Amino acid sequence: MRLWKSWIVATKDLSLFRRNKYILYSLIALPFLMGLLFPVIAIFSLQTEATSLTTAQLTETATLLINLFTSYFVIIAAILPTIIASYSFVGEKLEKSLEPLLATPTTDGELLFGKSIAAFIPCVGATYIGALIFTIAIDVWSGINLGVLLIPNVYWAIVMGVMTPLVCVLSVEANVIISSRVNDIRAAQQLGGFVILPIILLMVLASTVRTFPLVTLALILSGGIALADIALFYLSKATFQREEILTKWK
Amino acid sequence: MIETENLTRKFGDLTAVENLTLKVDEGEVFGFLGPNAAGKTTTVRMLCCLISKTSGKARIGDFEIDREADCLAIRKMVGLLPENVGLYETLSAYKNLDFYGRLYEVPDQKRQGNIEHLLKLLGIWDRREDAVGTFSKGTKQKIAIARALIHDPQVLFLDEPTANLDPEASKTVRDFILELKKEKRTIFMNTHNLDEAGRICDRIAILKTKLIAVGSPEDLERSTSGRKTVVHLESVTDAVLAAVKQLSVVKNVRTSENKLILGIDNPEKDNPQLVRAVVKAGGDVQFVTELRSSLEDVYLKLVREAEVQ
Repeated sequence: MRLWKSWIVATKDLSLFRRNKYILYSLIALPFLMGLLFPVIAIFSLQTEATSLTTAQLTETATLLINLFTSYFVIIAAILPTIIASYSFVGEKLEKSLEPLLATPTTDGELLFGKSIAAFIPCVGATYIGALIFTIAIDVWSGINLGVLLIPNVYWAIVMGVMTPLVCVLSVEANVIISSRVNDIRAAQQLGGFVILPIILLMVLASTVRTFPLVTLALILSGGIALADIALFYLSKATFQREEILTKWK
Repeated sequence: MIETENLTRKFGDLTAVENLTLKVDEGEVFGFLGPNAAGKTTTVRMLCCLISKTSGKARIGDFEIDREADCLAIRKMVGLLPENVGLYETLSAYKNLDFYGRLYEVPDQKRQGNIEHLLKLLGIWDRREDAVGTFSKGTKQKIAIARALIHDPQVLFLDEPTANLDPEASKTVRDFILELKKEKRTIFMNTHNLDEAGRICDRIAILKTKLIAVGSPEDLERSTSGRKTVVHLESVTDAVLAAVKQLSVVKNVRTSENKLILGIDNPEKDNPQLVRAVVKAGGDVQFVTELRSSLEDVYLKLVREAEVQ
């Protein structure tokens, strides 16, 4: 596989996404709002508890809340590809540009990888922007009220550095597969929503677990998601049929 | 340059193309005529390695269409103008061409040169930074042709290049194809436009799932009714009629007002003898012309015959 070819496809898609206001605003809105909303909820909850707790207890409660909200950024990384990756092949179908694209000397793997990169970069980037807003707000509060910066911690580092990109890749791959097999963007987005439901469920469950060390759990989950990423890439290559896309495209 | 042998494609129970055998020479402009759903687009897609064949053989240059490795080489050496232009509407004309040039692995400098050359040739250079969505249908079609040529392909597949265009835009595109013809590129053109095919193509094939006929436009025009010579006279007399009937080269004769319509296999050779006989019999010759069926007549006749079969 020639990665430079995938990069050509990716840069073209990124250029198209930049010009699509619906994609651009949808992509920015969710992480930006959550980046603001999560710390507001966390700080409000902590402030109401502050008078009845010691500093040590408040720090412990704050850490629990921060870890919970940090987990939710993984969910955002899973949701965003349903907006953008659903456009990858359906967008080409709508512009009727798929036939000339498939006629170029580019392999299926190069096309799929390029489409995936184009969806991954803005999704993970937007998630990080939301997480950055959250981190700054929390640290400002904790610095003033507890005298320590609560983020980054080990769990935050694993979630942001490992889990978020891995989940994003998983969601991107699933949505690119869906996009190559349907003819309508809304159908692609709805199906994409179903696909990420197990990821959301998993993260919500993981964030409520108290009997197992959170960091260990995050590492185990990351390993599982990484394996799923690899499996899904091969599945997407196996299921991507130029001929089927062209002949069944209405 | 393009060769097919019993090329067949089925979609389930439906046969789209059946036992297509043809050969297109290097530098030839080959027209592919046929009604809707005749298998023209399917043939082009098979030849461009976009879809597989069910049976038979086909090659472009030295490459077979059913070999995975050959397909990448084929895609590199052919340019495709699909039925729908399929340009990225929000990208500029330049960026559209640049994207495809990069995918076709055209080196930077050559790519920039090719884009400039093609856009100038098509009169779009001044609007190169405008989004494609702001262009007219005809201009979009021109950009799509430029896209098919960005990597300087040896073979060009044009699927309905003037479909849905107004007469002026059609003429611009047609003139451009004629320019390409001068460059001796092999051009395989699907079209419904018989007049266009007659004017541009060196040879024409008529397809209706199966290949019905193939030949030069002139050969096809002659094929259904044979060659006919029309002699316009001051008046058709019995003596003139008797004189031409005696000639062995005349296969059949009929009259229409002051004209003699004669079936002659080789008019280039036999018409002088015919004219001499008419003059000798006292006929006053005004004009001698050739009567041909139009390509449209031939096309309709052959397609209807194929439908009946």
